[in-house]
Amino acid sequence: MGAYIVRRLGQGLLVLLAVSFICFVIFQYMGDPAWALAGRYATPKQLELVRQKLGLDKPFYIQYIIFLKNAIRGNFGMSFVSRLPAMQVILERLPATFELAFMAMLLAVTFGVGLGVLVSVSPNSLFSRLIMAGSLIGISIPTFLTGILLIMIFAVELRWLPPFGRGEVIRIFGGWRSGLLTWDGFKHLILPAFTLSTYQLAVLLRLTRAGMMEVLGEEYIKTAWAKGLPPRSVLFKHALRNALIPVVTMIGLQFGELIAFSIVTETVFQWPGMGNLLLSAIFESDQPVIVSYITFVSLVILSLNLLVDLLYVFINPKIRYA
Amino acid sequence: MRKVGIVLVAFGLFLGIGVGAQTIEKVVIGLSAPPRTMDPHGSDADSNLSIMSNIFEGLARRDVNGNLLPALAVSWERVDPYTWRFYLRKGVKFHNGNDFTWEDVAFTFERLKDPGVSEFLATGQLVKSVQPVDGDPWVIDIVTTRPVAWFVQNMHQIFIMDKESTEARSPGEVASYPIGTGPYKFVEWIRGDHLTLVANEDYWGGPPPVKKVVFKEIVDSFTRLAAIETGTVDIIQDIPLELFDRAKANPNLLIVTRPARRGMFLGMKQTPEYPMHDVRVRKAIYMAINVQELIDKVMFGHASPAAQIADPPTVGYNPEIKRLPYDPETAKKLLAEAGYPDGFSVTLKAPTDRYPRDEETAEAIAKQLAKIGIKVTVDAKPKAIYFPEVTHHDVELYYLGWFDGAYSAMRTFTKLVHSYDEEAGFGLFNAGDISDKLLDYLIEQSDTIVDPDLYVEWSQMTNRIAFEWKVVYIPLFYLEDSYAVYKPSGINFTPRPDTWMTIVDVIQP
Repeated sequence: MGAYIVRRLGQGLLVLLAVSFICFVIFQYMGDPAWALAGRYATPKQLELVRQKLGLDKPFYIQYIIFLKNAIRGNFGMSFVSRLPAMQVILERLPATFELAFMAMLLAVTFGVGLGVLVSVSPNSLFSRLIMAGSLIGISIPTFLTGILLIMIFAVELRWLPPFGRGEVIRIFGGWRSGLLTWDGFKHLILPAFTLSTYQLAVLLRLTRAGMMEVLGEEYIKTAWAKGLPPRSVLFKHALRNALIPVVTMIGLQFGELIAFSIVTETVFQWPGMGNLLLSAIFESDQPVIVSYITFVSLVILSLNLLVDLLYVFINPKIRYA
Repeated sequence: MRKVGIVLVAFGLFLGIGVGAQTIEKVVIGLSAPPRTMDPHGSDADSNLSIMSNIFEGLARRDVNGNLLPALAVSWERVDPYTWRFYLRKGVKFHNGNDFTWEDVAFTFERLKDPGVSEFLATGQLVKSVQPVDGDPWVIDIVTTRPVAWFVQNMHQIFIMDKESTEARSPGEVASYPIGTGPYKFVEWIRGDHLTLVANEDYWGGPPPVKKVVFKEIVDSFTRLAAIETGTVDIIQDIPLELFDRAKANPNLLIVTRPARRGMFLGMKQTPEYPMHDVRVRKAIYMAINVQELIDKVMFGHASPAAQIADPPTVGYNPEIKRLPYDPETAKKLLAEAGYPDGFSVTLKAPTDRYPRDEETAEAIAKQLAKIGIKVTVDAKPKAIYFPEVTHHDVELYYLGWFDGAYSAMRTFTKLVHSYDEEAGFGLFNAGDISDKLLDYLIEQSDTIVDPDLYVEWSQMTNRIAFEWKVVYIPLFYLEDSYAVYKPSGINFTPRPDTWMTIVDVIQP
């Protein structure tokens, strides 16, 4: 087990190296940030001065080595735009993104698994057919469209919920600014969380349904029915538990994705999270922020994957890592 | 609207006449472009200067018509081609209580030279020294490295910083917590969300009538419109062209538009091996473009024709310059006279993500030029690729927009018209390699003219020669700035030409 973890960590490190290297290669084609930073009336000499100051005058592999050297010490460089440490700029956005992803996950799990079970019981009923059709829409409709439709209906027409932003936040332990603890903050969270969850909800629903249908055909379920156990006990105690293993894996992986790919939702709802930051950093060619963001998100996904793999051992004792 | 409680405050006694002035508790503004930094020198983007102009002040300021007015300097004069004399305002305090002195001015200009914090390197490196005159700390001479006639025209966007607190803090702190002399004090900035300012009751110009300002970042244009439709914000910038009719149809919204400062134009490669070297060909292209059709069909009417690049508030704008008429017949004759009776082939480069409907405009121009036999291939690409090609002068025909932050047509000309000179920094954006001895001379000499009236006339003359006689560029149209005001908020809003949201100017109680 110990050797397995060490090997996985080693692989993770290689992935991080590869990801950051690819970033630097892409930067070569992203346009020269010195243009934006020297001002429109800068002379070629002043542009050169800016490049020197930012280290952009060096060949890109040298820039990459310097980046690695600093990154080992936890220094991911200064944002060209805000002139603050890039990692700080990203981490101050983490609470917003984390709370959004958490809420979206909660919605996806509750409704995805819950409806999945319901649908599996009577797969041919009208209700099930409607739900399955709905899940197809959930998978295929683009996020920005979901967001725009929800804003149109619930904010502009019905005026039930605010159209954008994070609302009132309060500071809890340290710098974590939470919107979950105020009514205003919660109201602001509903639409973006729902938007972000639609795809994952649909995937979980279909996965739960498939797993349940398979398990429900097993001999031991038939035995449980035959014993005259109440349906709740058969469905949730016997069937769902066994159908849940792939679902739990999926949830773990999805949470990483929700954090990483909330970009569109955050932009439509002007949610002050990391995805929103990434988009503006791309517009401004803010290379240190882009590479720090991608490194950070890779780290989150790698850690979650490792965690899921380890949790597997506990859920399913048949699995061993040697 | 409920949050804009209107309170009457006795303001009278001034000149012995009882005058009532209203105060507004709070205004919420939806910004299309978020602030980049709270360092007033850290960004020369108008979206950033816009915010900074509430917290900081320059030696001069501009009003809603673009006129230059005194601010931290009460007056100024140009003593000789190299020297500008400023008479500083006494009794001004920074928000931290420090007094405003000449040393803050000297510090500011020194700071502009530092590429680590400043996007105003060009201005910083123009300044040789800042010194009090005859030991009087309220009169200073700013000496420039070369004669610069428009120097003071730029002073509304060079914001003066407090020497003591800026030196004492790290660049990161300075860029997060601004301390200026302006009518508003900084409260908080949650990046990606909002920026809050409160009225500086001790402001030298008197307490500002709007007591609290919240700038909300709403980058997505649909969401921004939804925000004002629900009354979540009082004013938004930039109504997208596609949603304009929807906004107009909403009875709760007041739509405010004005011509933008940015003039759009067509640049042309003018070295001898290209047909556009011949002024008759340049005129033919000019006369073959139906600019009204571009405005009506491509821009949906949200643009106004331009006969020059400069806009009316710019020094050197010449109202006498007229567009050449749209006349494809004459254009064909001019082409034939120039030796191209069957036209020629040329590539038109344009960005796809920089100006409203940029690619569509280029496509439409290509179709119009086809009618006189010029075969145009449109090469539209993202700005990150397009702009480096322009600055490397790797173009034949190209579509670009420009306005001058210092309101000086001659400063624009040093970049766009003067022949390329790396040492002096001239002609960097002269992608068509215009090389005209007369224009070069007129541009260079303009900076040595000390008499302000003569300078204006000289600039106007140079401008007219460039656009009517030499036809170095083909001006197309000015873009349009648009805003929506939530009517129930009862706010009176007047936009500035530079799109700055300088609250004391744009909102009238």
